[in-house]
Amino acid sequence: MYKYDHIDQTLVDQRVAQFRDQVARRLDGSLAEEEFRPLRLQNGLYHQRHAYMLRVAIPYGLFNSNQLRAMALIAKKYDRGYGHFTTRQNIQYNWVTLEDTPDILAELAKVEMHAIQTSGNCIRNITSDAFAGVAGDEYVDPRPICELLRQWSTLHPEFAHLPRKFKFAINGAKEDRTILLCHDVGIELKKNTNGELIADIYAGGGMGRTPILGSLIKTGLPWQLLPSYLTALLRVYNRFGRRDNLYKARIKILVKALSPEEFARQVEGEWLFNKDSDVNFTQAEWDRVAKHFTKPAYLSLAKLSDQQVINTASEAERASFARWLERNVKPHQVPGYASVILSLKPHGSVAPGDATTAQMLAIADLADQYSFGELRATHEQNLVLADVEQSKLHELWQEAKKQKVALPNIGLLTDIIACPGGDFCSLANAKSLPIAKAIQERFDDLDYLFDLGDISLNISGCINSCGHHHVGNIGVLGVDKDGEEWYQITLGGEQGNDAAIGKVIGPSFYADEIPDVITNVINTYVNHRNEDESFIDAYRRIGVAPFKEAAYKNAKKKEKAEIAGDAS
Amino acid sequence: MSQANLSNSTEIAAHDQILHFPKGGKPNLAPNEWLIWNGSQDEGGLPDLEHGKQNVLVPFAWWAQHYQESDIQSKTKAGHIGVWFAADDDILKHAELIEEGKKIWPLVAAHFPIFRDGRSFSTAALLRDRFQWTGEVRAIGDVLIDQLLQGARVGFDSFALRPDQKTDVALKQFDLFSVTTQNSWRDKRATLSKLSV
Repeated sequence: MYKYDHIDQTLVDQRVAQFRDQVARRLDGSLAEEEFRPLRLQNGLYHQRHAYMLRVAIPYGLFNSNQLRAMALIAKKYDRGYGHFTTRQNIQYNWVTLEDTPDILAELAKVEMHAIQTSGNCIRNITSDAFAGVAGDEYVDPRPICELLRQWSTLHPEFAHLPRKFKFAINGAKEDRTILLCHDVGIELKKNTNGELIADIYAGGGMGRTPILGSLIKTGLPWQLLPSYLTALLRVYNRFGRRDNLYKARIKILVKALSPEEFARQVEGEWLFNKDSDVNFTQAEWDRVAKHFTKPAYLSLAKLSDQQVINTASEAERASFARWLERNVKPHQVPGYASVILSLKPHGSVAPGDATTAQMLAIADLADQYSFGELRATHEQNLVLADVEQSKLHELWQEAKKQKVALPNIGLLTDIIACPGGDFCSLANAKSLPIAKAIQERFDDLDYLFDLGDISLNISGCINSCGHHHVGNIGVLGVDKDGEEWYQITLGGEQGNDAAIGKVIGPSFYADEIPDVITNVINTYVNHRNEDESFIDAYRRIGVAPFKEAAYKNAKKKEKAEIAGDAS
Repeated sequence: MSQANLSNSTEIAAHDQILHFPKGGKPNLAPNEWLIWNGSQDEGGLPDLEHGKQNVLVPFAWWAQHYQESDIQSKTKAGHIGVWFAADDDILKHAELIEEGKKIWPLVAAHFPIFRDGRSFSTAALLRDRFQWTGEVRAIGDVLIDQLLQGARVGFDSFALRPDQKTDVALKQFDLFSVTTQNSWRDKRATLSKLSV
């Protein structure tokens, strides 16, 4: 993985000093809160419902065991002994103080980490495929481009105060695991017929209040020209993105208002003037960065069949081990290796994506022992050990079980994506975590979950949709009505190559109705599905009507009961 | 053009001092010689240049309407009139006017209606990159200490700080970083210089 050179390290150290001074000025009153706010946000520091929250960048989700140990110890020393892995592949701490923040950043800087641009109206932490470099279906390893763009975007002066936040995702695999089309800019890396690295650019995607899938605005852009093209793109957005209305300030609104064609034309017009400038990347820079993303020292191993791997377990364990292999272990580019997803969604967990200090320390050891000391954070809020020898999967499984991160629920109904919601977030209209917990408790039977197969269920506590509810097969959105917490259900959302925005099925529900509603929706699927048909495929075949009818079945009963109650 | 914006920016503070940070030079404070006129008293034309101020920055929108007047031309040629761009001025749409103005303006400025509105960063970048303007570009309006570094890198070389800002803290801002990871008006990214070593 990438290793800081003295330039990166100097920049991060100096950034800590800058922020330390800004905090000191805030504390002595010479910097007003209103003016400090964008400064702290650009350093990942939010003021939440109960305390400050610090969001730490994990560029493109990649980190090492030493960094995880530092994250664990920060959780212990400055927070309440846990951290929360987010849908943007970052980690955040919910209970830090303003006074401690410069020291936390200094500790992060020691392990080549920072919190730069994890929030604020600037280019956010770049996300990518959690399986970059190892995925069987990858045609371009996106990591060198991710890193080059991380550097290009870090403290970019022209784009420090954009109309709104700006999110990049970068993909280089056949299957999109980045929700590319739900980003302000999605960069799809490819090779042209001459074997040269090129990029297709999608712009104007995003979730939130107005979910829109991005539009293809540029094809075949040589990788070297990414900085000039993206400068042109961001310059058009910076100049013409709406600033009069917070809710209409994202680039998706500009692209929609102009039309993707007109937006592309304006970017192209701007690009003409700088496409040949030295803002662009050079081969020397590629070489400098790409050397950090060479393959680790893989052994020359024979590829094991599924059965051979299963047979490494004792007979008594084989059924449950096979389940874990099926759900949590992914194919690898290199024979004899596999990638393992550690589930941060144990049933009845406090919050999807949370890991305690003890878990983080233990997982860091597992990374050292089984995966060349490297880890990845997924946007589904799980962790990945990307390079595990197949012959050691059983041993790793047993260790992971001890840490309660071996639940074989990856991609299943209880692998819930959820934002921290109203328990923590001051933006939230409703709680997310108790809903996630109630659903996990309702669907606790692993056999049943296995039978249901792939279903994504995403929960957001507000319209900002940090829980990505729009792209969940089942989406739950917390809404506020007259000061009460309600939940709206969307169906038919999907991430991946067939990305789709879910449709709202109708009036919202009380929190305590949600487990029944989900049960009714799931039962509808079970009753209608063809053999081996996934939830989303069944939904697309039969449409929303039967699901909707089932979802409101109990609501009607309840209404009747209330009427009856009134009458008595 | 930004008539609407002009009426919103009637309060552009008077400045005793300007923070200059010339390209290749050191930051320093100097007396301000320029009145920033918001164009709101259009009926009377240019404001009366009293109170020790000899020179006036006029809104670009006002310039576009009045620049052909002989009085304005002669005052500009004598070095007494410059223009400032509002955040929503689309300067690329007025390229010809700006190319002409380049020959006579002693100074141009870009306005920050509020510190977190970054449009004028792009204006400054365009003035430097596209128009190859080599004269002074001044940041005016809601200019705070913590924008100075970004402003200096996109192309500003003078700053009319909001009057409540502390100039001693401001002067130190430009030394905070010794490296950068993207090109700017002032210098190339640090990675390139390192690569050539």
